[in-house]
Amino acid sequence: MSELKFVRPARVRSMPEGTQPVVSLKGLTKRFGKVVANDSITLDVYPGRIKALLGENGAGKSTMMSMLAGRYQPDDGHIEVNGRPVKFTSSKDAIEAGIGMVYQHFMLVDSMTVAENVLLGQEGKFFVSPKEMKSRVGELADAYGLEIDPGAYVSDLSMGERQLVEILKLLYRESRILIFDEPTAVLTPEETNKLFEALWRMTEQGKSIIFISHKLEEVIALADEIAILRRGKIEGELDPAAIESKADLASRMVGKEVLLEVDREPAEIGDTVLEVRNLTGLGLHGVDLDVHQGEVVAVVGVAGNGQKALVEAVTGLTKPPLDTVFIMGHPWRKFFAESTWNRSMCYIPEDRLGLATLRNQNLVDNLLLTTRKGFAKGLLLDKKRAEKDTIDLIEKFDIRPGRIHALAWQLSGGNLQKAVLARELYREPRFIVAEQPTQGLDVSATEEVWKRLLAAREMAGVLLVTGDLNEALQLADRIAVIYRGQILGLLSTSDAETPGKIGPLMAGVTD
Amino acid sequence: MWEFLIPLLAATVQSGTPILYATLGEMMTEKGGVLNLGVEGMMSVAALAAFWTSLTTGSPWLGFIAGGVAGMGMGALHGFVCISCLGNQVVSGLAITILGLGLTNFFGVPFVGLPAPGFNPFDFPILSQIPVLGEIFFKHDMLVYISFVVPVLFWFFFRRTSLGMHVTATGEMPQAAGAAGLKPRVLRYFAVVGGGFLIGLGGAYLSLAYTHLWTNGLSGGRGWIAVALVIFAFWRPGRAVVGAYLFGGVMAFQLRLQAMGTNLPSSLLLMLPYVLTILVLILSAWRGRRIDAPAALGTNIEPEG
Amino acid sequence: MFKIIKREEPWKWGALVILLGALLFSLAVSALLLVGQGKDVFEGLNILWQGSFGHLWALEGALLKAIPLFLCSLGVAVAFRMQIWNIGAEGQFALGAIGATWMALSFPDLPAVILMPLMFIMAFILGGTWALIPAILKLKLRVNEIISTLMLNYIAILLLDYLVFGVWKDPTSFGFPMTSEFSSNAIIHGIGGSKVHWGLLFCFVVGVGLWAFMRFTRLGYELQASGEGARVAKYAKIRYGMLVMFVMCLSGGFAGWAGCVETSAVLNRLQPSLMVGYGYTAIVVAWLARLEPLNIAFASFLLAALRVGVENLQLELQIPAAYGSILEGLILLSVLAGQFFLTYKLEPKRSQVK
Repeated sequence: MSELKFVRPARVRSMPEGTQPVVSLKGLTKRFGKVVANDSITLDVYPGRIKALLGENGAGKSTMMSMLAGRYQPDDGHIEVNGRPVKFTSSKDAIEAGIGMVYQHFMLVDSMTVAENVLLGQEGKFFVSPKEMKSRVGELADAYGLEIDPGAYVSDLSMGERQLVEILKLLYRESRILIFDEPTAVLTPEETNKLFEALWRMTEQGKSIIFISHKLEEVIALADEIAILRRGKIEGELDPAAIESKADLASRMVGKEVLLEVDREPAEIGDTVLEVRNLTGLGLHGVDLDVHQGEVVAVVGVAGNGQKALVEAVTGLTKPPLDTVFIMGHPWRKFFAESTWNRSMCYIPEDRLGLATLRNQNLVDNLLLTTRKGFAKGLLLDKKRAEKDTIDLIEKFDIRPGRIHALAWQLSGGNLQKAVLARELYREPRFIVAEQPTQGLDVSATEEVWKRLLAAREMAGVLLVTGDLNEALQLADRIAVIYRGQILGLLSTSDAETPGKIGPLMAGVTD
Repeated sequence: MWEFLIPLLAATVQSGTPILYATLGEMMTEKGGVLNLGVEGMMSVAALAAFWTSLTTGSPWLGFIAGGVAGMGMGALHGFVCISCLGNQVVSGLAITILGLGLTNFFGVPFVGLPAPGFNPFDFPILSQIPVLGEIFFKHDMLVYISFVVPVLFWFFFRRTSLGMHVTATGEMPQAAGAAGLKPRVLRYFAVVGGGFLIGLGGAYLSLAYTHLWTNGLSGGRGWIAVALVIFAFWRPGRAVVGAYLFGGVMAFQLRLQAMGTNLPSSLLLMLPYVLTILVLILSAWRGRRIDAPAALGTNIEPEG
Repeated sequence: MFKIIKREEPWKWGALVILLGALLFSLAVSALLLVGQGKDVFEGLNILWQGSFGHLWALEGALLKAIPLFLCSLGVAVAFRMQIWNIGAEGQFALGAIGATWMALSFPDLPAVILMPLMFIMAFILGGTWALIPAILKLKLRVNEIISTLMLNYIAILLLDYLVFGVWKDPTSFGFPMTSEFSSNAIIHGIGGSKVHWGLLFCFVVGVGLWAFMRFTRLGYELQASGEGARVAKYAKIRYGMLVMFVMCLSGGFAGWAGCVETSAVLNRLQPSLMVGYGYTAIVVAWLARLEPLNIAFASFLLAALRVGVENLQLELQIPAAYGSILEGLILLSVLAGQFFLTYKLEPKRSQVK
């Protein structure tokens, strides 16, 4: 397994007797329709400590924190700040109580500057001056050792820098409790280390940190306390020192011995389905890549390093320079001009609801989306047969709800992805491009998707684009690490040194 | 040649003034993220409201304010449908236009051809003495002089006040505004109602200064031109002035040409502003960048739990 | 106070309930306006009802108005489905009328069997082209179609004026702007002895044709799928640009047919009074009908009946014709507001448990 290195402060982080919690959640419950997202949650947060909130996707972590941040209102239960019950009707109330949240998707206005974003809602007076705002924010950044230009426009910043802006927002508001929702998803290992150091510095100033994550090794390395959330309830709280191994933690999190591993039998390698030769342009530099039938090639890297451009070129969305991309033996142009609906290429995009499916249409219409030519009878569509095939697929892939007239937006993430997978595999592809296929899925759905992708190797070659290192190591035969549009390394997963090499490559560090 | 040009330019300023008010009003609304296609209807209703108020009270100033208030009211209606009821912004705006034009023609019947006390041009002290520029800019009615100041106030509001920044943030990313402790829906209402006020002032200008009589069809498509001009202006007030006067000029030119008697059939002449609008849109799309429009324009803010 | 909750299942009869509610609400509010004019509310409503549904002649009148409205609305709906905001039905209607007139005036002696189809073809071509222009501007130059179609409305009406005051003016009309009357071969005649003309049958054919097209053909499917956006269309390898142009052509063509039918059957000549705002009402109809052909039939009849009723009000109580616009605007606004309840419902907030 990949090892990410962290340096923990040497001193023992124990809490003096009788410390009162700065924030307490007492019996918080939140329902969305019939779904109980949070069920009677009780939790204490202490000053100067880092509490990790661990749980699978869909366990209810974000909902809980959104209530704490004032974004949602609980249906039952209440929150106490410094021992007194409070009611947050809006995020403003939470901010005033000293609670601030850094969301997974940054809440920044691209067209405004760093200073303007930090001071948004906190200007303090009616008339503002850009110069004065810049200096105020600049001072704050210096005080905490954060390297950021207050006059820069957010649209020009990298992901790591944008996160700094989010942190600055909380620091400016003198938040005492900072909540981070999956902060390392968009960071390189190096930036992650820097973040963790910043977090420890903040705790030294008495601030409390709540850290939501599903990454076990980070949680073990960072937290003072670990709370485990499962199916909307607090399973228990742990002292990280008491945990024996990642496996131990994982099993507590999920309730069974699931190690997020899968059996991968090597498959027979067949024809070349994708060949990328020295692709330069569209933000990419000299990319060489090839995928054969029977293998899975993963492209890993921090988001925003060229993966999108590569996927768009390979899937036909944008045109690459001549003689750089060959699919199933044909040059790009020829392939996309003549491709058939089946036995060809298929693309499973990251954006399930917005791109891969018609959100307001039913499952039959969604099946037809990429298979319609297969149901063509002259100018007409054989909808009867499509309905029948949809029913078959629903059964085969166990898609819920099992009605063909269910609309795409009514399906959960896992079922939607299964539906997309079902449709694309129906096309008997020889080349599959799968982008973040298990993002947001729970363990069982992830397992299913993995199994299906591996089974597809019988007929196809798979290009897997993912930010999940574990997924890449589990599924792929070879891993290409992409950084700033270049492939910095092509590693074989059968090599034991590979996991350790990936991290530095992702950060652009080559020997 | 100057004898022709200077009066034309002066007429340009006068003719462009209602368009300027309306454009800035629409710009404000759009900066908050709401697309308002009801400008034509709002200007109409405001014109009538201003006319009626001036007629009944004898005060054109009250009429001017009444026009603004009428604009606010219609803006609030559009806001309610789009912000609170999450209705489709395009269709709602069209409905407002249909309603507004209907209301105007319905209530305006008894007033057709009647005059009401209005604003008259006067020479602005000292400044009107400047050669050429004085003739063009400083021999108008008070509402024109006010319109010189409005773009500056607009700029100042959005770039130098916190409320302006809040509205801008709402138009770009309502979730960010919400996360910062602001109330994006309230801010949108503010943008729609505030913008409605300016649009209403534009309508009031038509019935109180541009002419003093009430006639049907006073708005004459200016509302739509305003919507196009916001795009042309890349959502910045300075360019709105340019655009408004451009159209003011074309309309003034058209009138002069007709008065002078030409061989061109009047129908073709009347097409000029509309053809120009399309050309202006083509030009803007060509040279504009996608980042100019408020990112959340036209989208609705879903309610959260 | 209330909490807003998103529905998990769509509200089955919601659309109908909302429509009825909106109608009632709008009638009530506009009735208040009658009071303002010094008229008796109930008398007004009665006259409105009588004029819309009360007599045979009212129903006849409603059908007559429903025909062009239906065709325009079909066109608008087809474009709206792809989120292409074609506001130009009014102008496309005018261009269709111009096309039909052109044929009628140029070949008055051709037998109806040839002349009629010619008129319809030319109406479709001109109306379709008028819609194609903004489509191309949108695709190639990213020009906002709302404004371009709207501007073309104004230009189209002026074009009509130009022709009717100028080249096509009837020399025997004493200066009134209108063309000569069409020959009998160019006129769509009434069915049997009634005033309702064969355009009704044409509507039926076109309506069914469009419904079948949307439901059974590949192109119809692609149209529907593209309604979710250009990105999904691209993903599904749907040729979005071609589809946009096709749809706009169709949209303008349908409106053009409406113009052809009106000019031929009702006016029997081209004159400015042809333009009564069908193109704008069509937008209201299309939205009320949620863009579906079957509903459009009902909705266009409803709004046509309303128009006839308002005409009756004009006649009996001297209510200005603009009353109809007020009604339409109110109906559309209240439907939009009411559609909130299709996706959400309100639940009373439960008190916090301490």
